[in-house]
Amino acid sequence: MAITDGPDTSERRDDEWSQCLELVGARRDREAFARLFKHFAPLVKAFALNGSALAANHAEELVQEVMIKVWQKAAKYNARKASASTWIYTIARNCRTDLYRRLQKFDTPLSADDIWPDSETTELFTSVQMKRDAVRIREMLSAIPHEQAQILAKIYMEGKSHSEVAEELDLPLGTVKSRVRLAMNKLQLLVEERGL
Amino acid sequence: MIHHHPDTRLLSEHASGALELAPSTCVSLHLNYCEQCRRRHRQLQDLGSALFEKLQPRNVSEHLLDTVMARLDEEAEPLSYRSPSSTAAGDGGYPALVQRLMRGDYADLDWQRMGRNVRICRLRTGDRNNEFALYHIRASGSIPQHSHRGNELTLVLEGSFSDEEGRYSAGDFLMRDAQDRHTPTATRDRDCICVGVLDAPVRFTDWRFRAANPFLRLQAS
Repeated sequence: MAITDGPDTSERRDDEWSQCLELVGARRDREAFARLFKHFAPLVKAFALNGSALAANHAEELVQEVMIKVWQKAAKYNARKASASTWIYTIARNCRTDLYRRLQKFDTPLSADDIWPDSETTELFTSVQMKRDAVRIREMLSAIPHEQAQILAKIYMEGKSHSEVAEELDLPLGTVKSRVRLAMNKLQLLVEERGL
Repeated sequence: MIHHHPDTRLLSEHASGALELAPSTCVSLHLNYCEQCRRRHRQLQDLGSALFEKLQPRNVSEHLLDTVMARLDEEAEPLSYRSPSSTAAGDGGYPALVQRLMRGDYADLDWQRMGRNVRICRLRTGDRNNEFALYHIRASGSIPQHSHRGNELTLVLEGSFSDEEGRYSAGDFLMRDAQDRHTPTATRDRDCICVGVLDAPVRFTDWRFRAANPFLRLQAS
């Protein structure tokens, strides 16, 4: 994983992407869409290639599907509720999950949009808090030791369960869980749990 | 007020798309009810997005932008997205996800009896590794004491029940594993309806039901 931007630049750039998304949503602005495409399509492709081999074989189809959804759903985007990259990431996650289930011939009445409904937050007053959370997480992520960051990347980017990660890295499941917990603790994302 | 929540592992796997369909559905149902976990889940998506931004970008084919631009014209009509209700209870009193899985009315469901007080209705999610079922426990009735061969997730939809460790009401989420042994009992005032997700059959420890153990099969579909 190459780390390109410091938190300052990435925050400024995120504002730029949010504005592009709003232009696409409000005015169907193709130029703004092209800018989004140039930045996000290569990331979505990387995300597709990180996923299961099945999904990786269809990486560019996934890029098309995700970017078309970005175009179609842009009117629903609200910069006060989510950063552009979180919004696009969740679309990519949903499309990759659906693609995988389609390729596996899952016979299901549910789509990713059912499992992760759009309108998760109606509480606008929390938007400042949400932005602060997102910035904090992004900053703290650079401070996490490699052995923990590697596991988070496998879970989030490769879509692997804790047990699959344990098997792949040849580590006991307990070690994987405790590294995730250490990382989450650092990111202040740990939930209190029943003695595990 | 919700008192029992999914742990960090389940929430992370749900947020990242790593969780299988039936358990993911169960976590999603909990999020319907629980503001605290919705916030946590949003933060975990922020984490996903922060990792996403750090991926090494991969070049896409030269013509891809043009292809997509052309398809924007073709598909100028936005797809109509079904928007599942985000409130805890949909029209029929159940969350939209459960209603979609029921494919109809609660009254038309095909229930199987288990003893005098419990009925089970398995719903097809498409997940072949996990059984997803509704449990209807009559007021004061119990599910015979059992332990697990794998993991059991439970989400209370209506009413409440208690077991050896606590009391659970609508929206509460429980995870039990192979070491746990419990006897869920509905409260006296009303029936209790829960969602249960199993990745292996339960094992009855109640002597009256033990004879059934070798014949229990997971009915995942």
